[in-house]
Amino acid sequence: MEPLLSLRISAGYPGRPAVLQDVALDLEAGGTLGLVGQSGSGKSTLALAILRLLHLKGGRTEGRIQFAGRDLTECGEREMRRLRGREIGLVLQSASSSLNPALRIGTQLREAWRAHADSAWEKPFELLQSVGLHADDAFLRRLPGEISVGQAQRVLIAMAVLHRPSLLIADEPTSALDLITQAEVLRLLAALNRERNMATLFISHDLLSIASYCRRVAILHEGRIVECGETGRIFSQPAHPYTRRLVEALPRIPLAASSLNLATLAARLEEDLAQRAAADVVHPQAE
Amino acid sequence: MPVTRLPLLALSAYLAWGQWGGELRFCLRSDPKTFDPLAVADDSSETVRYLTGGVLVRVNRKTQQLEPELAESWKVAEGGRKIVFKLRERVLYSEGTPFSAEDVAFTVRRMMDPALHSPTGDSFRSGSGEVRAETLGPHRVSILFPSPIAGLERLFDQVAILSAVSPKAVLGPFVVAEHKAGSHLLLRRNPNYWKKDASGRRLPYLDSVRLDIQQNRDLEQIRFRRGEIHLIDSLDPETFDSLAAEAPASAIDAGPSLDTEMMWFNQVRNAPLPEYKKAWFRSKAFRRAVSESINRDDIARLVYRGHARPAVGPFSPSNRFWFHAGLRPHGFDPAGARRKLEQEGFRLDGAVLRDREGHPVEFSLVTNSGNKTRARIASLLQQDLAKVGIRLNIVPLDFPSLIERINRTFHYEACLLGLVNVDLDPNAQMNVWLSSAANHQWNPNQPSPATPWEAEIDRWMRAQASTLDPKKRKAAFDRVQEIVWEEAPFLYLANRNFLAAISPALRNTAPAAMRPQTFWNVERISFANQISGRR
Amino acid sequence: MQTLRYLAAAFLLMVFLASVGADFLSPAPYERQFRDHPNEPPSRRFPLGTDELGRDRLSRLLHGSRVSLLLAPAAALLAVFLAALVGLSAGFLGGWFERAAMACTDLFVSLPWLFLLLTVRALLPLNVAPWTSVSITFLLLGLLGWASSARVIRAGAAAVRGSDFALQARAAGCRTARLMMVHLLPNLRPAIAAQFWISIPVFIWSEANLGMLGLGVTEPLPSWGNLLLELANYRAVFAAPWLLAPAVLLVLVSSGFHFIFSKEDPCR
Ligand SMILES: Nc1ncnc2c1ncn2[C@@H]1O[C@H](COP(=O)(O)OP(=O)(O)OP(=O)(O)O)[C@@H](O)[C@H]1O
Ligand SMILES: [Mg+2]
Repeated sequence: MEPLLSLRISAGYPGRPAVLQDVALDLEAGGTLGLVGQSGSGKSTLALAILRLLHLKGGRTEGRIQFAGRDLTECGEREMRRLRGREIGLVLQSASSSLNPALRIGTQLREAWRAHADSAWEKPFELLQSVGLHADDAFLRRLPGEISVGQAQRVLIAMAVLHRPSLLIADEPTSALDLITQAEVLRLLAALNRERNMATLFISHDLLSIASYCRRVAILHEGRIVECGETGRIFSQPAHPYTRRLVEALPRIPLAASSLNLATLAARLEEDLAQRAAADVVHPQAE
Repeated sequence: MPVTRLPLLALSAYLAWGQWGGELRFCLRSDPKTFDPLAVADDSSETVRYLTGGVLVRVNRKTQQLEPELAESWKVAEGGRKIVFKLRERVLYSEGTPFSAEDVAFTVRRMMDPALHSPTGDSFRSGSGEVRAETLGPHRVSILFPSPIAGLERLFDQVAILSAVSPKAVLGPFVVAEHKAGSHLLLRRNPNYWKKDASGRRLPYLDSVRLDIQQNRDLEQIRFRRGEIHLIDSLDPETFDSLAAEAPASAIDAGPSLDTEMMWFNQVRNAPLPEYKKAWFRSKAFRRAVSESINRDDIARLVYRGHARPAVGPFSPSNRFWFHAGLRPHGFDPAGARRKLEQEGFRLDGAVLRDREGHPVEFSLVTNSGNKTRARIASLLQQDLAKVGIRLNIVPLDFPSLIERINRTFHYEACLLGLVNVDLDPNAQMNVWLSSAANHQWNPNQPSPATPWEAEIDRWMRAQASTLDPKKRKAAFDRVQEIVWEEAPFLYLANRNFLAAISPALRNTAPAAMRPQTFWNVERISFANQISGRR
Repeated sequence: MQTLRYLAAAFLLMVFLASVGADFLSPAPYERQFRDHPNEPPSRRFPLGTDELGRDRLSRLLHGSRVSLLLAPAAALLAVFLAALVGLSAGFLGGWFERAAMACTDLFVSLPWLFLLLTVRALLPLNVAPWTSVSITFLLLGLLGWASSARVIRAGAAAVRGSDFALQARAAGCRTARLMMVHLLPNLRPAIAAQFWISIPVFIWSEANLGMLGLGVTEPLPSWGNLLLELANYRAVFAAPWLLAPAVLLVLVSSGFHFIFSKEDPCR
């Protein structure tokens, strides 16, 4: 079967050395792919390049991006607009600045809805609930400055999956979150992935998150994919020196546990986090 | 005893010295455009010419009589075509070379040189043909013009005599010593100046004159108040009054100036105006009625704060010889004005005056914008005319557009402007009064006079120009003034007074109406107390 | 802060009503010359004294307020509307459009538009009512006065263009026009409002200066502009402080507007 997303691109910003050099990735429908790389290695660049938004940051893309049977690099802006948000959702890296400070949460959700829907706008209380937010009018009336970063990150996720896209690109969606919330968000993404058969490109430099969520992982280093494959295999038998260093840099204690089955390790970690969350008296979203 | 006599001696020396030396300072609006006395066209250059140039004859600014200067005597001959000057002897140029008839001939030839386009020469151009200047000896010179020039000898007031040998040498009381463009001009006393005072000492009294280039009139006043400058040439009434309140000794109201404020109606036949309006403007009764609706006393009192008087004609009373003393300004008489209008078929309909055909009487008055005085006069006219049912719309325009309208397109109805007279002689106004002239503002460049009275003005103007007899000339020009008074092509409104600021430290100042009003006798001006003058 | 705002609002309302009701409140017609009472100090009959032609200053101030308070904001509205249109689209669309629009703006700022105004005045018919001519003047001010505001607004729009939330909105599939209207405008509202409030006194002053060129309000109609011109003679002001009344009113009205509208904007 042909993968949902299959790309081979180079990208960069004029006047600087290329950020991405002939990067190739495949993601099958409903699949989860983690993208790991050092800070500044070009992960966010790749995310924007896929949606053909890199030019807004002054960047350039070359190559082809095959998505659901089309080459996105050949699509016109009009077609791309119809695709964005409806077939490909994007969660930007910095939650705090990705919401318009002058607009109420409700308005921003409504605008995202309006962009593709012909049907009347209904407040997506269910969706908000499912990302663990207060689903009430009072919340929708708030301005971005009046919610926490974690809440903002989940609003962004809700917004990105509003139209049930077949691909979600999540750029470090958990970076700003405490461990508990991080786990919640990961669980949410996993659920969405399962229930909606939504393929996910999960960008992170956090190996544990990747391990707990992604079936496959790609390692981006110095503008190239140095390694790509099953998460368990990559983490248990890292081939590339960079990957090896990555894995070695992981906290010792959990890794010391015998057979280095990272998948089980991640599952255990998740359980542990969930327990801790339950034990916590104060719910992070409580007002 | 030498010991006791010493202070006394010093004191007497000081008193004698008190009259001498010092630096007179005042401001010019801009840098002089030229130092060539024959090329002078702007005010600043004219000031420099006056201070440095020596002339054959000078119009005394106070008496307005012609007085000998470098010429001891002169004689006009051949019906006004020829003038012979007998020159003063033993006069030296600032550089030490002697002055002779040769220099006068040289100056006149240069002035009349067509290639030079001398504005001074223009007033001598009487007809086609050559001007011949010949020396009749070392101190006699004769100048022959192609045709007669009325008031010929007075024109030499403007001709500073050059040196035939040294281009920089001058005969006037001062010499340009230093010029820093945009900043100042320094004139030093001419050590060889020929004039002496009653006690036989060589003039001028002053050591130097410093002319600061200062555009801003507010700064000029501040500097005057601080004592940094000694003269301000013309003040507006408001400033004058505030200065008079602070320092009465330095605020000088020198009486009527030569300037006149006036308005006129557009009488151009093919002007782009409705015919019925042109008919009003061509009606003498209408013009006189408007004139008599105007309260000229109020203009003098409110706009000029009393430093003006109602005007009667083209010359103010300060033009002693040519002013027509028999005429009175059109009186303020709204009732009479209304009667005149009714006789012409105008009638009052409520508060609106309508003409025979029912058109409401409304006209616009163009004037140059940014002139506070004129704006105020216009406001007064507006209310005065409203009282007889005439609506006046005031249209201030920038100067170029105004000139464009009154001289080229004739797209205006009435105009309010001032007339600045620099010349006392009506000959200088030929281009205003002749119906064929370009400055015949109410209807310029007529091929033949449009009205009998304009034809009559033409005749009298030509008559006064063609005789040398002052009495006959005066009679002729009096007739012109009478006709103008009667027909009112120009409605003369006010003659403002010449208001000046003169430092009390100065002696011998005698402000007059003619330019240069405050320092025309500069060679005799001195400081009362030299110490304060030198600062 | 809140009381101050109410005070300001009450004051503005008062000034506005007074200028609207100038005909009833004025002790005398504004053009009436009491020629026997020129330059009078304040008295019961002339509460703010009289001008050099004997016109009641209070009446002129009230009528002048009507001219300036009605027309200057109208001109400011027009100018800011144009500025927002140009500035928003230039700043947000970027690229060649921005370069072209900004070149146009720079040209507009450097244009000798005084000559344009003079030309327009010269083209007007001679007999126009003072109200017509002053309206035209303000209309022109509005049409010509947008460029500097457009620069400010463009800068704000350009900042929004590069922002993450604009990127996020695009990634959500938002249309450009919608993006400008819904996402951009609310962010620039404070900047636009500021330009509006700044423009009003600027236009009032411009009108005053144009009056010197004969383009402003023509006699006998008063405006704050031509009333303020009397302050040019600073000596007179020392002797007669009541001449400052129009300036004081202008300052009070400008700051009144400021207090009311420059509240800590919830958008900020
Ligand atoms: N707008 C831009 N103009 C020029 N260079 C840029 C721009 N944005 C990013 N870069 C450069 O491109 C490279 C890749 O940046 P990118 O944001 O894609 O990194 P990243 O992998 O997402 O890093 P992080 O993990 O810190 O988010 C970096 O070296 C960065 O300096
Ligand atoms: Mg990134």
